Amino acid sequence: MNADVPVLELRGITKRFPNVVANESVDLDLRRGEIHALLGENGAGKSTLMNIVYGLYAPDEGEVLVRGKPVRIDSPRAAIELGIGMVHQHFMLIPVMTVAENIVLATEPTRGGVLLDTGAAARRVEELSRTFSFAIDPNTRVHDITVGQQQRVEILKALYRNADILILDEPTAVLTPQEAQELFAILGTLRREGISIIFISHKLNEVLEIADRVTVLRRGKKIETLRREGATEASLARLMVGREVLLRVDKQPAVPGEPLLKVDGLRVLDDRGLEAVKGVSFEVKAGEMVGIAGVDGNGQSELIDALTGLRRSAGGTVHLGDRPLQTASVRTILDSGVGHIPEDRHLRGLVLDFSLAENLALHEYRDPPDSRFGWLFPRSLVARARRLLKEFDVRGGEPQTLASSLSGGNQQKVVIAREVSRDPSVLIAAQPTRGLDVGAIEFVHRRLVEQRDAGKGVLLLSLEIEEILSLSDRVLVMYEGELVAELPPDVPEEELGIAMAGGGRQEEAA
Amino acid sequence: MIARAEDFRERLTWARLTSPRAIGVLGIVLGALAFWLALPPVTVRSPVLPLLVGILALAAGIWSVTRGERRVGWAAVAIGIVGMAGGVLATRSGEADLDSVVVWSALAAATLRYATPLTFAALGGLFSERSGVVNIGLEGMMLMGAFFGVWAAARFDSWALGLLAAMIAGGLLALLHAFFSIHLRADQIVSGTAVNFLALGITGYVFIDLYGDEGTPTGIPRIPEVRIPGIEDITFIGPVFGQLNLMIWLSFVLLIATYVVMFKTPIGLRIRAVGEHPRAAETVGISVYATRYAAVTLSGVLAALGGAYLSVGFVGSFNENMTSGRGFIALAALIFGNWRPFGLFGAALLFGFSSALAQRLPTAYGESAGTLFEALPYVLTLIAVAGVIGRSIPPAAVGRPYKKQ
Amino acid sequence: MEEGAIPSVAARLALYQRAGGVITPLLTVLFAFFVGGLVVLVTTGKNPLHTYQAIFNGTGLNWFFPWVTCSDPCTPATNLQYTLLLATPLMLTGLAVAFAFRCGLFNIGGQGQYLVGAVAAVMIGSSFADLSRWSHVALAVVVAAFAGAAWAGIAGFLKATVGAHEVITTIMLNWIAIWIATYLFEIGGPLQDPKQTGVPISETVAESAKLPVFWGDPLFQGLHVGLFIALGALVSYWIVLNRTTVGYEVRAVGFNPEAARYGGISVARSYVLAMAISGLFAGLAGAVDVLGWEYRLGVLDIQISQVGFIGIAVALLGRNTAVGVFFSAILFGALLNGTSTRNLDPEVFRPELASSLTLIIQGLVVLLVGADVLVIYLWQARRKLGLGRKRASVTT
Repeated sequence: MNADVPVLELRGITKRFPNVVANESVDLDLRRGEIHALLGENGAGKSTLMNIVYGLYAPDEGEVLVRGKPVRIDSPRAAIELGIGMVHQHFMLIPVMTVAENIVLATEPTRGGVLLDTGAAARRVEELSRTFSFAIDPNTRVHDITVGQQQRVEILKALYRNADILILDEPTAVLTPQEAQELFAILGTLRREGISIIFISHKLNEVLEIADRVTVLRRGKKIETLRREGATEASLARLMVGREVLLRVDKQPAVPGEPLLKVDGLRVLDDRGLEAVKGVSFEVKAGEMVGIAGVDGNGQSELIDALTGLRRSAGGTVHLGDRPLQTASVRTILDSGVGHIPEDRHLRGLVLDFSLAENLALHEYRDPPDSRFGWLFPRSLVARARRLLKEFDVRGGEPQTLASSLSGGNQQKVVIAREVSRDPSVLIAAQPTRGLDVGAIEFVHRRLVEQRDAGKGVLLLSLEIEEILSLSDRVLVMYEGELVAELPPDVPEEELGIAMAGGGRQEEAA
Repeated sequence: MIARAEDFRERLTWARLTSPRAIGVLGIVLGALAFWLALPPVTVRSPVLPLLVGILALAAGIWSVTRGERRVGWAAVAIGIVGMAGGVLATRSGEADLDSVVVWSALAAATLRYATPLTFAALGGLFSERSGVVNIGLEGMMLMGAFFGVWAAARFDSWALGLLAAMIAGGLLALLHAFFSIHLRADQIVSGTAVNFLALGITGYVFIDLYGDEGTPTGIPRIPEVRIPGIEDITFIGPVFGQLNLMIWLSFVLLIATYVVMFKTPIGLRIRAVGEHPRAAETVGISVYATRYAAVTLSGVLAALGGAYLSVGFVGSFNENMTSGRGFIALAALIFGNWRPFGLFGAALLFGFSSALAQRLPTAYGESAGTLFEALPYVLTLIAVAGVIGRSIPPAAVGRPYKKQ
Repeated sequence: MEEGAIPSVAARLALYQRAGGVITPLLTVLFAFFVGGLVVLVTTGKNPLHTYQAIFNGTGLNWFFPWVTCSDPCTPATNLQYTLLLATPLMLTGLAVAFAFRCGLFNIGGQGQYLVGAVAAVMIGSSFADLSRWSHVALAVVVAAFAGAAWAGIAGFLKATVGAHEVITTIMLNWIAIWIATYLFEIGGPLQDPKQTGVPISETVAESAKLPVFWGDPLFQGLHVGLFIALGALVSYWIVLNRTTVGYEVRAVGFNPEAARYGGISVARSYVLAMAISGLFAGLAGAVDVLGWEYRLGVLDIQISQVGFIGIAVALLGRNTAVGVFFSAILFGALLNGTSTRNLDPEVFRPELASSLTLIIQGLVVLLVGADVLVIYLWQARRKLGLGRKRASVTT
């Protein structure tokens, strides 16, 4: 085969969804044995593009060429037959089955064409994992291995099907920094074996570390493809966002007062009963915003759940003022003056099938004037909604509108309106700008700073380093369930990054 | 879930109390109790109590075997049987041993007869639910099999064609359930309920339309019994296995076949994958829809065989709503057996045994208490799903409609 | 779309409610009757419209037509009384299913709860004969309602504490109730009527516990005041859901339990309460049947009764609203009555056939209640075809 022909080429791919164009005439070429990064913000259309290549979506326009030949990929099976493998962001593994069963699924070795040959399956998986030095026992069940190992199983799944084009969708999002380094080493090995890799990411440093070439997507359009050499974080960031990214929020220096929220030695278990938060202590003072930074999955969600009563703590204390809250119910905690903007507004923040009036009453429907002796007064709900929708500039909704029919930004405004209007002394905001557009992000940031300036204690949890740095007065770094560093907000990003990767702690230990 | 909000330590204790091992030990204790009840100083005179306690022991044993605690579980099953037998014998100590053996073998044969339709339907349910589609329409599918089996057997004067017609009728009804719950992504419970109504209506309608007040013709060709020469004289084994209906043997074959297909072949691996994580199956090229269609249709075919056994095999006629809830007992057996072939078979035998007792006890003792044995399968299953969440684990994606991307 | 995002039953029904209005249920019913008509035509060769007309006349609904006149005893009136008599428990079992639905629970156990209520009513009604009329009635009704609530509460409690799926537990509870009731009243059973030892039936409810008849012949199944209990239940249903904090909580949990929990609502408590209230309605249904016109419970009735199961169809067709449940209960009550042996002329159509036809229509209605998806599906299929045509024209 001609080495110059790209193994995979996309020409003018367009994909429309109701209300949104996910990809607009995107071109891309993948050369043999290269790692090609697909860079873009959340919602830039990276995953959609790759799902088209993998046959999960059909493109509305454009063509896909594999090794120079135009192909029609209408199902994952077709993709597999063309040698394309994909590691999805959410793993496609069956927890109750063994590693080998997961890998051979749908291409099982048999005895006599009928019976499943589990021995042969295990042997082949073992050989394969030895070739790429993966060190995975084919006979363990997937729910018993770590996330990093599960990812390797996913890669093996593709290799087992003789994939020579491998797509990885945000593979480091769930990994610890060490696991990410191990993954990069594996990708290096695969590249040497002649496997071509598309690596979806929105993390600039990763892309610069591992990719040979980078294609930047922005709002569904391809902006540019460039070689790694000569690219810098700044230049990539500019391409990715389309302007100089400096999320700076106008704010006065904080004037911290009394400590409001005091957390001491808090321990929390996760769903599997493992300790996710391992003895965390910190304070949030009146009039300050404390940011908690960290890679996803280091215990932040469990911490927030415990602080808001959604999860029982396994030890330690939480005080709001003098009031102990570590064993209190959600309602008690809310009533004693905690506001909570939850991580996921669809899962928790809103009852999408409720009207805005009903959603805005979610914490207060039990109290007068909303209700008396268990009797509800809808007029009171509507009156509150009318006031708040105006005050918080929620567009596209009347009090009787269902929450599901609002845009994401306006939905978040409804959540913030509800939490802020209760005048809590401490406001806990978990990823408050996730999935919002720039205008909505600014609105949310302004409201959070307003709360701080009004003398509230604000606890901000975010996975976006920039958001943390531009808003917080103090930054706490969470790593593997512990607070490993406290940094001022003007700390350089790299230093924060190192702390988030557990770097600071290792130095201490050394 | 709510469980998260509960005290974690409390859950640990609860989990320990409901662990397969603890349940197995409980079974052993109950088995011993069944015998002890009939002895001094308690000396119950009626066999009902030892039987009841013995059944509970068996239930606990099957429970714990299907959840991985084999040794203790089998011990509980064995001790339950012995305890029950001993207990009953003690209450009847005046009678000759020979009589008792006759009674016991008759009871065992009856147990098999009652268990067989349950086994067929529950095996059907296994395919459907393992592929991720809840099937509470088993009852209706059995009913279709029961009626159309008799109809075709009478019409074509052949029990084999009767079985074929039953399978087609059950399969078609299942296909309807499949279409609504897979393609249209209707709620699977709603669709299953509808299918039950439909089966009741269709069979009732055609039954009256064709046969009117006279009922189905008498003397239709029945599914034959299989005589095994040579073993008839062996004590206990002879009377039980010497002369069994062909369908009972077929159910044994299907049981083993189902086990092999489900756990030893690629087909089974794929069905289970679809029921656990359909999207993962789709991404390696398995068609979720096709797999589910096939599994659900097969479940209707199997359930219909169970129904046909009732009508063509057992009584030789049909009457309206003749399955009277057996489809639901089959569902209970499936759940009690932890969605495993031998587990559900054990449960079907247990439930069959309690039905057999319910039928035989009143004639012998003139008591109405036997009726309560009919409720036993449901009580046991209720206890099973109640005590055990986290132990009785349904396929992860069961009941959830799958939407292709 | 993530699988987790597939809406719950309640959420789907909410969507259906918004999308369909009254049009979809009407279409569903029309379609079901159309198929039923085809069945009649194909199997008997009779004109389905005549059959339906005969059934309709048997329902007594023609009583409302001004041109229909009658002498005494007025046949349409007695027919209508009987239709409403049958519709009354259906309204209540329909509510039993509907209320649980609003909390995201599928209560298949209406039949068992109905039976438990009926057993309680017959037990109270046939004892305490020295009580005054209204206090006896009230006692029996209240105890029956609470018995139903307790029975359903078991399922709610198991859901709330160990997460046992309510569909499975309510199915099991149905059959447990059926067999226990059978045991109680069968020959030799502990509550069998000692005055007629050869009949598997309960004792008869005392005069003081009978619900008075307000329309029609009190001796020949006239319409009793149980109808007002059902109408009161319909109103209460609406009020509880829309005008109380409990209703707010139940609906929040039904739409999104995780958000409800985040809002401070106890999801476990809502599950138990919702099931108990559901059972309350079903228990009431049992009470009005026993105290209103059956006056006793026989083993045969217990084994063949479908009142609770039809409640599922009533709730689904009525889209879990009070008004919807009212009308669909009337529809099913009318169907049951119109196809009954006593009202359908065998010359026109055999009543045994017609009652099976009712079951087919019921099944179709339940099946097509998922019509929201059906409509979307047809819409997509149409669009796909349309697109296919467009593409074809581009290539040529």
